[in-house]
Amino acid sequence: MYRIFVILLGVIFMGISFAQYNNNLSGNSDATYRTTAFHDSVSRIRKMHPEFLIHKRDRTLRQGIRTDEDSLTECINCHANTDENTGHYIAVNEQDQFCSSCHKKVSTSVDCFSCHRTTPAEVF
Amino acid sequence: MSKALNRRDFIKTSTAVGVTTVAAGVTLTTFAENKEAVTNQKRWGMLIDTNNLTEAEIDNMVSACMKEHGWGSELHSTGDQKPSWIKKIKVQDRTTKKITSLPLMCQHCEQPPCVDVCPTNASMKREDGIVLVDKHLCIGCRYCMMACPYDARSFVHEDLTNQKEHMPRGKGTVESCTLCVHKVDNGEQPACVDSVNSDAVIFGDLKNSNSKINKTLRQIQSTQIRADLNLNTGVRYSGI
Amino acid sequence: MSNIRYEEIEGNGVGFYTLVACLGVLILAALGSVYYMEHNGHYVTGMSNRIVWGTPHVFAIFLIVAASGALNVASISSVFHKKMYKPLSRLSGLAALSLLAGGLMILVLDLGRPDRLIVAMTEYNFKSIFAWNIILYNGFFVVVGVYLWMMFERRMNKFSSKVGLLAFTWRLILTTGTGSIFGFLVARQAYDAVIMAPMFIIMSFAFGLAFFILILMASYKWSDRQLGDVVVNRLGNLLGVFIAAVIYFVAIYHLGNLYLAENTRVENFILFDGGIYTQLFWYGQILLGGLAPMALIYNPSTKGNRSMLGLASVLVIIGGIIQIYVLIIGGQAYPIEMFPGMDIIEGYGGIASYVPSLPEILLGIGGIAVSLVAIIFLVKFLPFLPESLADEVADPHHKS
Repeated sequence: MYRIFVILLGVIFMGISFAQYNNNLSGNSDATYRTTAFHDSVSRIRKMHPEFLIHKRDRTLRQGIRTDEDSLTECINCHANTDENTGHYIAVNEQDQFCSSCHKKVSTSVDCFSCHRTTPAEVF
Repeated sequence: MSKALNRRDFIKTSTAVGVTTVAAGVTLTTFAENKEAVTNQKRWGMLIDTNNLTEAEIDNMVSACMKEHGWGSELHSTGDQKPSWIKKIKVQDRTTKKITSLPLMCQHCEQPPCVDVCPTNASMKREDGIVLVDKHLCIGCRYCMMACPYDARSFVHEDLTNQKEHMPRGKGTVESCTLCVHKVDNGEQPACVDSVNSDAVIFGDLKNSNSKINKTLRQIQSTQIRADLNLNTGVRYSGI
Repeated sequence: MSNIRYEEIEGNGVGFYTLVACLGVLILAALGSVYYMEHNGHYVTGMSNRIVWGTPHVFAIFLIVAASGALNVASISSVFHKKMYKPLSRLSGLAALSLLAGGLMILVLDLGRPDRLIVAMTEYNFKSIFAWNIILYNGFFVVVGVYLWMMFERRMNKFSSKVGLLAFTWRLILTTGTGSIFGFLVARQAYDAVIMAPMFIIMSFAFGLAFFILILMASYKWSDRQLGDVVVNRLGNLLGVFIAAVIYFVAIYHLGNLYLAENTRVENFILFDGGIYTQLFWYGQILLGGLAPMALIYNPSTKGNRSMLGLASVLVIIGGIIQIYVLIIGGQAYPIEMFPGMDIIEGYGGIASYVPSLPEILLGIGGIAVSLVAIIFLVKFLPFLPESLADEVADPHHKS
């Protein structure tokens, strides 16, 4: 019994350690080609981005403090991929795109895009 | 004294120049980014002179608002379900039969009934007087729409896509004129004001005695719509 | 004093299960409507930016108002110490909670963002009467829950009077709050009136008692238990008094408004030239919901007749729904008077049109079904109903 328990724990821990997400910067978004970091380390921002976004939105909406730091619009501007065929941006919440790829794995719904724009503003 | 620049002077001068250049650049970027919270030192307002505002200009105001914020092209909403952040109103005096046209939008009251009744604090007033809906908190109960004396608020009745970057809007929440807060914070004027090429619509800081709107309000007769409600609106009208 | 025995109903006949099944179908229809409305957006309903609160809100407010009134019977026993009403207290508390649950369900499911209910529970604007109502409604569940426990648990019976007083006060504040939702709106001519609060209180008396009478008579008839005339006639007389009081308040409200020049136009709209709203007011609210039930209760030829009392209660309920409909929807249909002395000829104004859509109606009816299903199940699982309310049991000293 004890051995089974140890093996079970071992499997779980191995699973956790191997459940590293792929670096999602595999598309053709601006962020992929960026050489310097714009925000905190990936692990920190993955953990803290809900807090960053929530505090930032209150600062912007209620106090009028408009910065690029922690801005959802800026996240999208940098991380949106472009469709190679049409040249248009792909929505960040579509399958396998920036937001969905992680959020689908952790089964957390993303409420932002019922209101927020899903692609950078296209300048024609 | 030799004209040749010695090392010490060179270092001093170039450092000074360098620091000044960088400092100038840094300061300029900070002003453009607006890192300070707005205060109640200013109160934004608008003065609309209905005598000098033509119907075509009012129509332009409505179109400019639609274009700036991305409303007006909803597919499924019909009739009274369509959003109307700003509308053209024609009123006729019952006795004299005089007809006046005016644009009607959120009046950005100092004592907004919509802010009083919102159960979640989604309907809010900024320090500088602009009344907004925090759509992150809006549960879509529409009580603010019941409470607004100016029918200023609209409810989004369907799914929306392709929103403007600076104007998130979504199904199930309430929206209204924001006094183009994203432009105002950038030192610009609301889109509707920009669309009128005359002094028929003036936008500015009501508290600043040097501002055009303040000076004009001191000189001419103006009114608030439903002044008896004592809401102290930010939008004033002359000519009605 | 007679010893009242409470017993659960058997609840295993064909009739019982058929009733539950029918109500279940209505509830499923309501949930389907909610999915349809939430998924597509409110454009599928008849509501708009002019008529922002529609049929679901009519049913919801009606149920919430009736809920607080249904507690009256228990209050008469605990607070005013009328012994005859004591056996009815448990059912009264149950009816109050169930009706409130049904009403709140409708209200919450019609929100534009019902997924944000947690936000409504955690972010409070204490200046908003709506936010106060959320606290009052939740508190009502707790207070009446405790009150029922005091009544059920023999050792706690001695506290039931005090908790009953708390429950009575709470529901008065709650109904005042519900009326103030409308009464505090300065924007609309039809609402800006403090009399809304006490009017809602008196409406709750009538609607709640009508529901209670129907639930009482139905549960005793369908579980083959005895229900004596003493109890029924007392409740019937009470209903008559409450209906009269409602008519009084409605009269004062409208006469007062007619007198004020400021409100003459909206009164003319409701009372004379408002089309459907005028017809609903006179034929639905006054005639069907007020004068007809009173005639049934007091007219010597129908007085004391149990079926007539049941019919009167049904009419009060229908009239009550119509009254709230005229209030909520008629009050919104009439345009806001933004420019006194002027007519708005373009851009706004006119009587807003509203046609109740099927999803809205199904949601409203589903809320009533939820309330009834809750009552039906709970009287089966817990001893809410006295074994017998025959005259000798209910009031041994009655004069026959």
